Amino acid sequence: MGSAHSVPAEMRELADRTGFTSEQIEHLHRRFKQLSQDQLTIRKENFDNIPDLEFNPIRGKIVHAFFDKRNLRQESDGLADEINFEDFLTIMSYFRPIEMNMDEEQLDRFRKEKLKFLFHMYDSDHDGKITLQEYRNVVEELLSGNPHLEKESARSIADGAMMEAASICVGQMGPDQVYEGITFDDFLKMWQGIDIETKMHVRFLNVDTIAHCY
Amino acid sequence: MQPLAASPGPAAPAGAELLRWQWREVQAPCLVAAWILVASLAKIVFHLSRKVTSIVPESCLLILLGLGLGGIVLAVAKKAEYQLEPNMFFLFLLPPIVLDSGYFMPSRLFFDNIGAILTYAVMGTLWNSFTTGTALWGLHWAGLMDPGVEAGLMDFLLFGSLISAVDPVAVLAVFEEVHVNETLFIIVFGESLLNDAVTVVLYKVFNSFVELGPAHIHATDYVKGVASFFLVSLGGTAVGLLFAFLLALITRFTKRVRIIEPLFVFLLAYVAYLAAEMVSLSSILAVTFCGICCKKYVEANISQKSRTTVKYTMKTLASSSETIIFMFLGISAVDTSKWAWDTALVLGTLFFILLFRALGVVLQTCVLNRFRLIPLDRIDQVVMSYGGLRGAVAFALVILLDRTKVKAKDYFVATTIVVVFFTVIVQGLTIKPLVTWLKVKRSDHHKPTLNEELHEHAFDHILAAVEDIVGHHGYHYWRDKWEQFDKKYLSQLLMRKSAYRLRDEIWDVYYKLNIRDAISFVDQGGHVFSAAKLALPSMPSRTSISESSVTNLLRESGSGACLDLQVIDTVRSRRDKEDAAMHHVLRGSLYKPRRRYKASYSRHFISPDKQERQDKEIFRQNMKRRLETFKSTKHNICSSKSKARLKEKGRKKKNISVTREALNDKTHRNVPWQDAGEAGGRQAPVLVMVSSEDEESDSSETEREDDEGIVFIARATDEVLQGKTASDSLDVCPSPCIIPPSPTLAEKELPWKGDQADLAVYISSETTKIVPVDMQKAWNQSISSLESIASPPGIESGPQHRRFACPVLEEKPQPTSPAVMEQSSCFQFPSHVSKNGRSQSGSSPDGAEQQELQPLMATEEQGRVLPTAEPRWLMFNRASHL
Repeated sequence: MGSAHSVPAEMRELADRTGFTSEQIEHLHRRFKQLSQDQLTIRKENFDNIPDLEFNPIRGKIVHAFFDKRNLRQESDGLADEINFEDFLTIMSYFRPIEMNMDEEQLDRFRKEKLKFLFHMYDSDHDGKITLQEYRNVVEELLSGNPHLEKESARSIADGAMMEAASICVGQMGPDQVYEGITFDDFLKMWQGIDIETKMHVRFLNVDTIAHCY
Repeated sequence: MQPLAASPGPAAPAGAELLRWQWREVQAPCLVAAWILVASLAKIVFHLSRKVTSIVPESCLLILLGLGLGGIVLAVAKKAEYQLEPNMFFLFLLPPIVLDSGYFMPSRLFFDNIGAILTYAVMGTLWNSFTTGTALWGLHWAGLMDPGVEAGLMDFLLFGSLISAVDPVAVLAVFEEVHVNETLFIIVFGESLLNDAVTVVLYKVFNSFVELGPAHIHATDYVKGVASFFLVSLGGTAVGLLFAFLLALITRFTKRVRIIEPLFVFLLAYVAYLAAEMVSLSSILAVTFCGICCKKYVEANISQKSRTTVKYTMKTLASSSETIIFMFLGISAVDTSKWAWDTALVLGTLFFILLFRALGVVLQTCVLNRFRLIPLDRIDQVVMSYGGLRGAVAFALVILLDRTKVKAKDYFVATTIVVVFFTVIVQGLTIKPLVTWLKVKRSDHHKPTLNEELHEHAFDHILAAVEDIVGHHGYHYWRDKWEQFDKKYLSQLLMRKSAYRLRDEIWDVYYKLNIRDAISFVDQGGHVFSAAKLALPSMPSRTSISESSVTNLLRESGSGACLDLQVIDTVRSRRDKEDAAMHHVLRGSLYKPRRRYKASYSRHFISPDKQERQDKEIFRQNMKRRLETFKSTKHNICSSKSKARLKEKGRKKKNISVTREALNDKTHRNVPWQDAGEAGGRQAPVLVMVSSEDEESDSSETEREDDEGIVFIARATDEVLQGKTASDSLDVCPSPCIIPPSPTLAEKELPWKGDQADLAVYISSETTKIVPVDMQKAWNQSISSLESIASPPGIESGPQHRRFACPVLEEKPQPTSPAVMEQSSCFQFPSHVSKNGRSQSGSSPDGAEQQELQPLMATEEQGRVLPTAEPRWLMFNRASHL
């Protein structure tokens, strides 16, 4: 996109689509250029340059989410090799805070979008289900920060969580019923009563360029 | 006490006295005790009627009671006595409350909202003080007040500063019963705690201004006032942090002196308070931050029992302090000598504090909402304005005023009393209906689910990562940085190695859920069983799991559900590993968790049963159902004949356990233990497992040090042989066929270390087929735990059991040889010894049939042994601890 973005019309269009203010978009664009080293697109490797990200136990999953086509609202599935600024904004827009003047319906859609993002992060094989194996992977990664916790325990935690999910989502199961994995509907059910919209957001104002990349 | 030898006067020391009337010596503590007693009894009376307490906050009732008592005292003594002394209040009554609220502060929530809290605490209090003071002065200036109120602007500002601070005690007392959502609560409550620094500084500054006289105030004094604010608040915080650090560090080394762990917590927090007070820093801030910051490390370091002790003691102290404060507020109000009524002042103050509080909140929220990601809506603002209660702090401060300098003190006292009464009684009474009426979002006390915790963790990381990517060093960024720092340095420094390793929040929740499982299991008399705990790698079906399906996992119970890392670190063989894991699974399941997850505000009700009962709901029921099927399909051989009999017994046992539960928290842990015996006897594999959890909790190595009360004693002795000879004189078991295998076992093999052949004595080949190996072990263990618990305290000679290496019991039904038995260890306890001998002599010659019967018979024996064993255990425990 490069310099083209500064055209007001395009900016407005972006702002409409992603819900960011033009100021925020400008900030984000500055950051985008910084990350991409003045290229038009960001590749996965670019994220390796962010020093703070290094210690994040689930950084792989997060970076992955940026290139997940499902999150980019493209009909297609799979992984993108590189994302342009618009995609970057799209991903970022998942982390917008709720606004004061949102009505119930908007809130609901907002919430669903956020959850979808999360769901896609867990559902690594793109089959619309978080299987036990996928869940275990996530938990293992989450716990990888603690060197004293073994894989085995991470697994057992995942198993416990999965059972819990099964009990929440399916209710009473017959003895021969098999719970394949968490579908998105189940996922929604699990999140009932938890205000994800009050949790999953980041402040986009005042995006300084304090965090320099090498 | 009545003096037997009444001494008529001081002049009559004639001869030796039998007893002497020493009222003077005991007067002060006696009065204190009497007041506490009265207040506590009053509380009982209040709570007799649920209806009353659900409408009227306890603080109101206490104030009214105080009024009544004060009236009586006044009528009897003709003068007002027993006032709320500022010194007593600040040195003794306030610290426990502040410590309690700091220590049990939901720290995550607190720091998430720290910006708003600080704004309201600092800006809000400043605003309130100045506007109220100025407005009152305006009222005075306009001539609306009685000319007797001799006060200038400074006096009114001074009064404004003390009357405008929201009081933590009052806020807690009222908000605790109104369950508004957590964010709202933490903002109001946090404000009331943190505004102390502002109040103290303003109070001091204005007080000195008043004393100096307006003519002598220089510009530098104002600067000093501002500077002292920073000094007082930051200094107080620093003192608190310093002591928190010290406290955490000290508790790291209390491994061998567990009993004084709680003492350290209280002592250091109190010293922090006094230290801050000494150098006139904000003592409330000091204690608050000491409590908030030390908790994580202290809780990890101290033993479970100490944790419970700290919790209870803190709640007890805080609750009684609060009770006394409110009661004495009532009593103090009766003293008319301090009163000087001026209607304009009183009404004006009431009006202004309400008005300016509301105005301040609205203005600040306007600004804050620009920055807050979750805006505070209008309803929140109404509750916040209305929840600005004034309380004992204001009263104590106004009493402290110097009458010679502040001429209108009497008026101020009267006004303060009215304001406090009004806010506590009127606002306290109406806030609940108001909250209901406004449909304020209440706190939903949903159970912490594992999924939730997992997602929350994922969230933290995701948000931190997104901030990194965006390049914005925001809140998440700094929190992430802090956590890394904490993990790398602070925790390593301040936590015990063993504690540090196990430290993980997800893990904690997992633990907690397991515990709840176990509790519900026990509650239901041991019919449910959670797969999470059942599952162990060594289960027969382990290999046949199809990994993708949870149901399969469940049914097969193959998922290694709970593993305790520490064990895994230390145990050697795979078998050992599994045993250890099992123990820890079980122990974890009954282990009372620290309630870190749930924000626990309640000072008065620590763990309502209701909560626990609610907690087990769906998850548990599902588990139950599935496991039931699991059980029935896999172990349908479960003897039905013993079941009926046992059910009765189970009921009986449960009764006992319930009463015990009521007794105290610690005994609660015995409950499952009883069931253990029960379950053990029942031979239902599933039951056995959980039952042994408790003993697990008593004996497992991770927290081994905690449980000095229960010592497993090993005796590599020839006691067994003695027992054999003694068995002739044995009259405990009347019929030879009822042979107690369990005691034998327990005594022989220290909890788990034992000879395989030994075990084979009582576990027949048949049982081994029916009962999965692990369960047999668990069964044995549960039984052995019973026995070892019952051992008298005196015997300490044997090596303490540290590690459990469970014998492999699979299909080894050979009878024991006497030689083996000699090697085994046993207890010295006579009756057991004899039983022991009996069982052995009985079992070895008997055939396979006999052996098969034994597990069942154990039940009967167990039933008999238990009642006697139980009290002994209690005593034992006490003896070793005190």
